[in-house]
Amino acid sequence: MADRRRINGPVGTTNPPIYDDAPEKQSEGVKVARSRPANVIRRMYLKTGVTPSASGSAYLEIESSGNGGSGLKLSCSVHGPRALPRSTPFSPHIILSTHVKFAPFATKQRRGYIRDPIERDLGTHLETALRGSIIADRWPKSGVDIIISIVEGEQDRETSKAQGIEAWDTMNALSGCITVASAALADAGIDCVDTVAGGVAALVQDAGDDAAPSIVVDPIPSEHEKVLAACCIAYLPTRQEVTNLWFKGDLPASDMDVYTQLIEKGIQASKSANRVLVDCLNETVG
Amino acid sequence: MARHQNIRNLDYEAELEEYGAFSDEEEEELSPEDQVRMREGTAQVLEALGVEAHKVTKAQIEESLWHYYWDVDKTITYLISKYIDPPKKPAKTAPPKTAPKQDGTCILGKGSGPWWPTSLSRSSPVALCEPSLTTSCQAAIASASRQSFAHLFRDLPWGNIPPERQAVLIPPPQLPGGLLGGSGAPPKMSKLQQLAAARKKKAEEKSASGEVEQTQVKMTELTVNDNQASKENRPLAGVFGKRVKISETTAQGRIPLTMAEPTRPEIPQAQAPEASPSQHQEEDPIDPEPAVAPPKAQPSAFASTLFGPSSDSPKRRPREVFALPYMAISSYSPDAFGKPSPDDVVLAAQAKVATAGKKSANVHNKKGSSSADGVTNQVSQLKIDDTPLPKSRNLNVLSEFEKQKGKKTASFVVVGHVDAGKSTMMGRLLLDLNVVDQRTVDKLRKEAEKIGKTSFALAWVLDQRHEERSRGVTIDIATNRFETETTSFTILDAPGHRDFIPNMIAGASQADFAILVIDASTGAFESGLKGQTREHSLLIRSMGVSRIIVAVNKLDTVNWSQERFDEITHQVSGFLTATGFQPKNIAFVPVSGLHGDNLVRKSTDPAASWYTGKTLVEELEASEPSARALAKPLRMTISEVMRTPQSSISITGRIDAGSLQMGDALLVQPSGEKAYVKSLQVDDGEPADWAVAGQNVVLHLSNIDPIHVRVGDIVCDPAKPIQCVDTFTLKALAFDILMPMQVDVHRGRLHAAGKIEAIDAILDKVTGKVTKKKPMIVKPGTVSRVRVTLHSKVPLEAGQRVVLRSGGQTVAAGLLE
Repeated sequence: MADRRRINGPVGTTNPPIYDDAPEKQSEGVKVARSRPANVIRRMYLKTGVTPSASGSAYLEIESSGNGGSGLKLSCSVHGPRALPRSTPFSPHIILSTHVKFAPFATKQRRGYIRDPIERDLGTHLETALRGSIIADRWPKSGVDIIISIVEGEQDRETSKAQGIEAWDTMNALSGCITVASAALADAGIDCVDTVAGGVAALVQDAGDDAAPSIVVDPIPSEHEKVLAACCIAYLPTRQEVTNLWFKGDLPASDMDVYTQLIEKGIQASKSANRVLVDCLNETVG
Repeated sequence: MARHQNIRNLDYEAELEEYGAFSDEEEEELSPEDQVRMREGTAQVLEALGVEAHKVTKAQIEESLWHYYWDVDKTITYLISKYIDPPKKPAKTAPPKTAPKQDGTCILGKGSGPWWPTSLSRSSPVALCEPSLTTSCQAAIASASRQSFAHLFRDLPWGNIPPERQAVLIPPPQLPGGLLGGSGAPPKMSKLQQLAAARKKKAEEKSASGEVEQTQVKMTELTVNDNQASKENRPLAGVFGKRVKISETTAQGRIPLTMAEPTRPEIPQAQAPEASPSQHQEEDPIDPEPAVAPPKAQPSAFASTLFGPSSDSPKRRPREVFALPYMAISSYSPDAFGKPSPDDVVLAAQAKVATAGKKSANVHNKKGSSSADGVTNQVSQLKIDDTPLPKSRNLNVLSEFEKQKGKKTASFVVVGHVDAGKSTMMGRLLLDLNVVDQRTVDKLRKEAEKIGKTSFALAWVLDQRHEERSRGVTIDIATNRFETETTSFTILDAPGHRDFIPNMIAGASQADFAILVIDASTGAFESGLKGQTREHSLLIRSMGVSRIIVAVNKLDTVNWSQERFDEITHQVSGFLTATGFQPKNIAFVPVSGLHGDNLVRKSTDPAASWYTGKTLVEELEASEPSARALAKPLRMTISEVMRTPQSSISITGRIDAGSLQMGDALLVQPSGEKAYVKSLQVDDGEPADWAVAGQNVVLHLSNIDPIHVRVGDIVCDPAKPIQCVDTFTLKALAFDILMPMQVDVHRGRLHAAGKIEAIDAILDKVTGKVTKKKPMIVKPGTVSRVRVTLHSKVPLEAGQRVVLRSGGQTVAAGLLE
């Protein structure tokens, strides 16, 4: 029996509001086709020096696909280089630690406050991508923390859930993470061999199964019938080096060239992103 | 030693001869057209030399012709300088020969054959030891091998460094502010400083680019495959030039990274901006990256709010006029006071309705009842599968009950002000009736002594919770039972504290009659009469209990004073009569709960000899339990849910109406889930086949999930279920001022939050006629008809008694209509 002994609470009750969870329009039916050319990435907005308390910080926003859906919004802050705690064993080079966290409200499916496996995965990929660009041995016995908050996840939320394409969105998120982290590192003044930027290319199939799959850059999964494979690449343009490559999906077994082409396009996307990155840094310096 | 000898004896001449012979052999193998050309060339040279011709042999001419590859002019120059008019330096070593069939090879190698290690491993030995094979097939292999070598060395510049690889040394930029980190904003500078810095930068840029250009010019001059290169370098240049060319062609076709390469992103500082023309050609025609427009977006609303408007967008001027806040609300209209106020509207409407009040009330009632009828009709039409489990014996419970000649059963509730001695009196009663043995009481007494509450030992017989014992008050209903010769009684010991009135209501709703315990000691009685003595008697009367036995307790503390007893009797009977109890249903017994006088046995105290009436137990036996509603549909309020070995869900409670038997289907409301009676126990835990109204039973249920069964739920007959309602009309006796307000509705264990929606009428207490319609408030002590709305649906039906409480006070009690 409930405790109703001594504490007489207020007598009245209020019914909690109940929100109708059903989607207003059937989003699967309405499909927005890709309006950009296949080899053009979406426009993005990048700004460094947004968090005054951090050593370096950056904010990246990739504009929405144009159908009222939300874009990707990332905020990155870099703390360090700073001395490692005494307990840490000696390290001849800087120790990178990356944290990627979706805000609880970033996606349709609310995220918890504890990092889930996807976020951990993103963090690991990001670390690999950045490790290739940082000149790590300039900073012995020190560490740097790179913290990325995904303020708004990719996609307009309804479609993402309805089509089960959240996995592909993760790739777009990673490429954004790499670019914004690189900008924040530059803002923090940590020595790098080059600015690293992320790019995504995907093998997609449009308009029915009989059409031949094509390769597009910076894909929005909801705009395509089906995404067969995708890869996310972190690329150093002046050194022509790939620091991180994440490939996912199935390729048609007949054509071995597709893989190479996919990566080629990924590099192309990465270069385009790098252009924005360099522009932004130039703006800050000049 | 032997080996030294060997080496010493080695004939170098002979060894070298072999190589010479080898080269001779090669010369002999000149192709026929070469031999023709050789002949022609020799003739031309001899002709050109004229008189000097005797100074050179034909062999010399042929050799040099071969060397210069039938370039007659060069041969002549060479021969003149070498043999005819020699300079101070004599013999010049023959320049290294190159393979004669160079012309077609690069075309041959371009598209054919694998370009990577297979060809290398196969053809490299051939190429290494036989550099001058002449057959076309061999040449093809050789060229293929060369191509693969070219690829091997592709990345080595060999002197002709492409412009994009040429290093530009840029002085390290000054870190802003001289320190690491920061928000990226440059340090503050005065205008003069900025101007100076800008000039300096410009000058640096200019000089840097100038230098770069100079270096580039020099580098192009250095390039070996340039046309202006010296003739001695020519063969070498040819080879390397070819290598480079091959590497380029290979790259064009096969190495993806190089192919996809567009223009390089500009390095921030001054830098040679023009890409080499070859690269422009290589660039993909649909390259998405025109050097002009990087895909930069405007900040979104979110970003611009975060970082302020971007620098190029016009700055919004702060508003100079501030609107009053309510002007922005859409419902605001400046002429609000031109119309009648909401209160006026309401009053006008009420005035209008007052005339047709009765009619509308009737209409409302009719509507309510008709809709309820409709629902019951529909429900009765519903075919609920309530076939009992095969276990059922299909008894006719009522005839069984009549056949049974057992003891009467009755339950009574013990109420009274806090610390009146209710629990102690019941403990003593149980002890004297040998329901509890002396040993248990002794044990309890010992425990009570430990915490310094010796007098509570008897109360602890019923108060078994830890909190009840430590606080010394009853908190929840305690049930126990005892039997006399004629009747079996169930005790419901109610808490006296006003905070636990809901529990007391739960107990009172299960009782046939009540014992009101009154503390006779000085002061206690008076405070009780103002307190819970009064509230409890009001409650039990409104719960439908009509028989009450007043136990005047603790008379031993006033030395069994008859005056005190009479005074109390007088006051209480007056009060109880006013509450609505009939005088014949009120009995008074002077008792001492602690010592047990006049409970089971007559008091032996001489001071109490004036009392000659019945003892408390005799009074209880004389009480007739109220009539049971046996023929009505089954209703039972669940007072406890527990797990037992017999079933995962066992419920206890008192059957309010109807009857049930083993195997019956039951409906639990408000969850609306069906269950079956697996087995049941009646009264004191005896297994039974059936039970009827008025009995306290333990039902072991099956086929139901525990989450659907809660304390306060009602178990009913699936064929005639109780309705769950959230609005009902109530004929209520007000204990406090009633107005439309928030109330708690209590019915036995059940309680729900709700509010008084409207007060329809004030009724006459005796006749039940309407004396006033639509009153604003109801004064204490008057009867009224109120409409109550609940926040959730609860099982209620007409004829049930409910209590309305608000803010910890009982405000009204009444009967559902």
